Amino acid sequence: MTRGVQQLDAISLAIMWDRLVALTDEIVSTLVRTSFSTIVRESYDLTVVVVDTEGRLMAQGSISAPPFIGTAPLTMKHVLRRFPPETLAPGDVIITNDPWQGTGHLYDVNVVRPVFRKGRIAGYTLSITHLPDIGGVGFGASAAEIFHEGLRIPLRKIVSAGVLDESLLDLIRANVRVPEQVIGDVMANLTANEVGGRMLTEFMDEYGLDDLNALSAAIRGQAERVTRERIRAMRPGRYTNRIQIEGIDAPITLACAIDIEGDGVTIDFAGTGACVPRGINVPYCYTNAMSLYSMKCLTSWDLPNNEGATAPIKVIAPKGCILNAQPPFPTGGRHSTGHFVSPLVFGAMKDAAPDLVQSDTGMIDILNFRGTNRDRGEFSTMWFSAGGFGAVKGHDGPNVTPGPSNMAVVPVEIWEDVTGTLIERKTLLADSAGAGEARGGLGQEVVFRNDTGHPLTVFSMANRTEFPPLGFHDGRDGARRAHLINGKPIHPKGQNVLAPGDRLTLRQPGGGGFGDPKRRARDKITRDVAEGFVSREAALHDYGVVIADDLGEAAE
Amino acid sequence: MVYRIGVDIGGTFTDFALFDEAGARLSVHKQLTTPDDPSRAVLEGIASLVGRSGIKFDAVEAVSHGTTLVTNALIERKGARAGMLVTAGFRDVLDMGLERRYDVFDLRLAFPDPLIARRLRREVKERLRHDGTIIEPLDLNGVRIAVADLIEHERIEALAICFLHAFTNPAHEDLARRLVAAEFPDLFVSTSADIFPNAREFERWTTTSMNAYVQPMADRYLARLEDGLSSSGFRGRLYIMTSSGGTLEAGAARHYPVRMLESGPAAGALMSAHHGRALGLAQLLSFDMGGTTAKGALVRGGAPLKSYELEVGRVHEFKRGSGLPARIPVIDMIEIGAGGGSIAEIDARRLIRVGPRSAGARPGPACYAQGGTAATLTDANLVLGYLGAGSFLGGAMALDQPAAEHAITESIATPLGLDLVRAASGIHAIVSEDVARAFRIHASERGFDYRQCTMVAFGGSGPLHALGIAKKLRIPRVVFPMGAGVMSAFGLLVSPLGFETARTKRIALSALTPESMADTFAPLMAQTRGFLERANVPPEHIAIRLKLDMRYVGQGYEIEVPLPPSTDWAALLAALPALFRTEYAKTFPLGVLDEPLEILGWKAEALGPEPSLGESLKIDGAGRGTGGALKARRPAFFAETGDYVDCPVYDRYGLKPGETITGPALVEERESTAVIGPGDRVTVDPALNLIAELGEAR
Repeated sequence: MTRGVQQLDAISLAIMWDRLVALTDEIVSTLVRTSFSTIVRESYDLTVVVVDTEGRLMAQGSISAPPFIGTAPLTMKHVLRRFPPETLAPGDVIITNDPWQGTGHLYDVNVVRPVFRKGRIAGYTLSITHLPDIGGVGFGASAAEIFHEGLRIPLRKIVSAGVLDESLLDLIRANVRVPEQVIGDVMANLTANEVGGRMLTEFMDEYGLDDLNALSAAIRGQAERVTRERIRAMRPGRYTNRIQIEGIDAPITLACAIDIEGDGVTIDFAGTGACVPRGINVPYCYTNAMSLYSMKCLTSWDLPNNEGATAPIKVIAPKGCILNAQPPFPTGGRHSTGHFVSPLVFGAMKDAAPDLVQSDTGMIDILNFRGTNRDRGEFSTMWFSAGGFGAVKGHDGPNVTPGPSNMAVVPVEIWEDVTGTLIERKTLLADSAGAGEARGGLGQEVVFRNDTGHPLTVFSMANRTEFPPLGFHDGRDGARRAHLINGKPIHPKGQNVLAPGDRLTLRQPGGGGFGDPKRRARDKITRDVAEGFVSREAALHDYGVVIADDLGEAAE
Repeated sequence: MVYRIGVDIGGTFTDFALFDEAGARLSVHKQLTTPDDPSRAVLEGIASLVGRSGIKFDAVEAVSHGTTLVTNALIERKGARAGMLVTAGFRDVLDMGLERRYDVFDLRLAFPDPLIARRLRREVKERLRHDGTIIEPLDLNGVRIAVADLIEHERIEALAICFLHAFTNPAHEDLARRLVAAEFPDLFVSTSADIFPNAREFERWTTTSMNAYVQPMADRYLARLEDGLSSSGFRGRLYIMTSSGGTLEAGAARHYPVRMLESGPAAGALMSAHHGRALGLAQLLSFDMGGTTAKGALVRGGAPLKSYELEVGRVHEFKRGSGLPARIPVIDMIEIGAGGGSIAEIDARRLIRVGPRSAGARPGPACYAQGGTAATLTDANLVLGYLGAGSFLGGAMALDQPAAEHAITESIATPLGLDLVRAASGIHAIVSEDVARAFRIHASERGFDYRQCTMVAFGGSGPLHALGIAKKLRIPRVVFPMGAGVMSAFGLLVSPLGFETARTKRIALSALTPESMADTFAPLMAQTRGFLERANVPPEHIAIRLKLDMRYVGQGYEIEVPLPPSTDWAALLAALPALFRTEYAKTFPLGVLDEPLEILGWKAEALGPEPSLGESLKIDGAGRGTGGALKARRPAFFAETGDYVDCPVYDRYGLKPGETITGPALVEERESTAVIGPGDRVTVDPALNLIAELGEAR
């Protein structure tokens, strides 16, 4: 029996809930600061969750990459099936990076540790971080099979009753390019889970709990109740959407039908195209995660993460479609397809929840630069560059803001020091945003010059080069993305070499607009022209407004 | 006879403290802030305090001043029209920000507009490589044309000059500054390498834009203050408090007004550290809670911990990340949106939340009876009996208890199905939990063991919550200094002259030589020392502290490594790996890695001698020692007993050294009340501090 929780009123529940979230945040902050992986610290591509004995997610670190809210509960199901409670002892720790049991690609390591109390399991902690390397062909989408992508660790114990499996560590070490950093990150996960277990034990001591289940039920119940209320407030019915995205050779179709019935939602991706022999296929866990994330933005954006907020939402994807990829299809760049689940779902929901959905964002451009820095030797590093954010009813999208992923740009002063390349300019692109009653955020142009004195290899995986960010409800589309070398457009997905002195230009798309531009407030148009976000020509063409030279308004 | 005065301008009140060095006596004074011209209240208050004390103005040797002027100007966007010159190709740095969302679920997130609008930013041709070598020389004529245009067409009063990599080589910024000074002498000019020579253009340029934006106003204000003081007969020195806990002479403060951000709270933390040193306590948690926020600072080895980041003016639901980043040396404070005016409401979870919305001073809590209807923390503390309806602010302001009960019943108790007392005690408890939680994570991120430390509690609301929070954190001892409501004004009296700077220069430890170490530190040491020498501090009284930011190559998080006071560079260099390991282990008990090290940041701070407040300080009106401190009884609610308990109320000013009070009890001074729970014991020490020993209690 669990003591103490039955009579939780609004005050006690608030206190214990906040405390539990803070506890996970504390573990996350340790993980971030000890991680070597650039992507972990720049984009918080990690998380820590606390789950109850049934594997239900009750608290998650507040800052973490969006998908993990949806993958962690599925990972726990696999863990409980493979390692039922009677097979676990105090001091056991379980690890996997299997794309189908973890987060959809090999780079993320999932580490689970049971928290024992009075001889029984009282709950679990689970941490996930993006490793600096996992062997194989390296980060990107060039693999044709999962076997090309690196080391795959099935669910297994990495620590048994406190004894570390050194042979597994040796195996990892022998398969990766930066063994010290990868092992360092694995160890950081182990320590974080151990610290988390200690903190959870103290937490249960303080509040007199035998396990976390009753508290978990109260937290999830509260979140689920609020989420269901909000779904009930949406227009019921079946909503469909179909979009095209750039594939490697040919466009890929993503489709969904969303049923809003009573207080529940079902998302079915039937009609979505098939897998391709490149690493952009998406295992179901990641599709599920991006779907739940997108719906959480519409139904429970202001609630802490837990499984209650996603319980009313069911996600179906036909086996073998690119959103439910099966082995041995490669999945290394699963996010480059999976991120489009967000605009796909928002587009479907635009009539069901017109006050909440967001027009398409310009999304992020992720490039890998490899070369030789005159001063510091060889380097391999990532560049992240955001397009404009999509508009929401009554709210302009912020300029150059990433979504649904959230990688911060590397400052110019840091980038030039790390790479020895020169950034000639980095400017907002006027008129790149989709016009609308609320306009999208502006995109940007970045020009790199290869000042390294050596050839510079650039791997790119750009999207939105053929299919622009869409505006909703008569809002206009944003401008498209483009990559150019020495002024000439290049294939947006692939590998290019810049000779010394060559220039690479990245043009990032603007966000889609929301609502008819003719309804945009005049003072906002005037201000956009004054600031140079919108040209006079575009003010006339898109908004039907003539702005005079002194910024006064002339006739329409 | 020598006297010193501390003046702290807050949102509602301006506080004054006059220190008489001969008698080690403090007199305090408080009057309403005059927002239209804050110098008026300052000059009036000083005159009134000096007059009341019967001293001559020319016997005052120093006035130390802290103010919210700069913070408010940034939050309320009341600064000057400023222009900006940037490296060609980078006009939009301020608009682009970090390209990162601070909340991934909120599709309506918003970012603050830059302080300097895009059309007021001009590009000039110049370019440095990352190592500081010049790729393209500065186009001086371009500077001239851009500035002339900004003055003529945009009527700018101030200018920020921000070039890429200027922190590595300030030559172009300096050239541009000299040209502007010669040809446009009325313009205020801030350059990024001078304001804070750190890498990361968005943060450095934003900080520089803040300095430019507030400089004309700060300059005029300080000029008025200096004129006013000298025409009243003041012949001493005017010192201005900075964010980092050191003071600057007024002239230097006029040059670096951005360094005046959050100077009041910094002074409070400094006073905590002073109390800790007086009591022989090295590890402290300074806890300050006022009307809208609570602030915590950690004190280690007698000095508050420092940081170099501050966020100003959050624009979206008070969320972290929705404000403007400032990069300046600051006392490392955690701020929680919880204070007396914080509003209790039902949140999205359908549970109770207190703050960060605040009823402020107007209309204020419901019990102020100024038209406020929201239930606030002060309303809850009144209902619980911790505050007396007739003794608030020394009886100067009557509180309306029925209004408080009504507000809590309507907005919290009824909707959540709770009774009034549970709702009120819940509001109190949630605030204590919020503060405890924030302190816990702040301390653990810095490897600070709060379970061994002492809490110093002050501010109008701090003493009400201190023991409850200390118990949650298992902090064994709490000190309630006398004068909880004027701690920042006291803190100004113990602030030394000080200036700190830090620059980015990345270098592998393996590539560092004693000579390059000396060469990098030399200009930083000369600059910081210069500020003190110009303020006539004798060289032998100037202490220089050096620190390095170090990390494992590849890791994203730097550890600050303080260097021992020495200029034997070879020895320092040899000791660096061990010094790093010691600091690393403090923050990350994970163990030490066998990876190469690098240095990223170089920091130097010059400090003058700390002004003394003497051994046994007397505050006017306190410690009458007549006994008879028990002035009333009233029922107060305690969670431990689950009900109201008849509770003695003591007059803080009547308590004698050596007296012991066992809770439940309330100890009132003018601006605050200490709540002593059932079974807790406090004693009055010789300096009239109340000291609670909680031992191993939970």
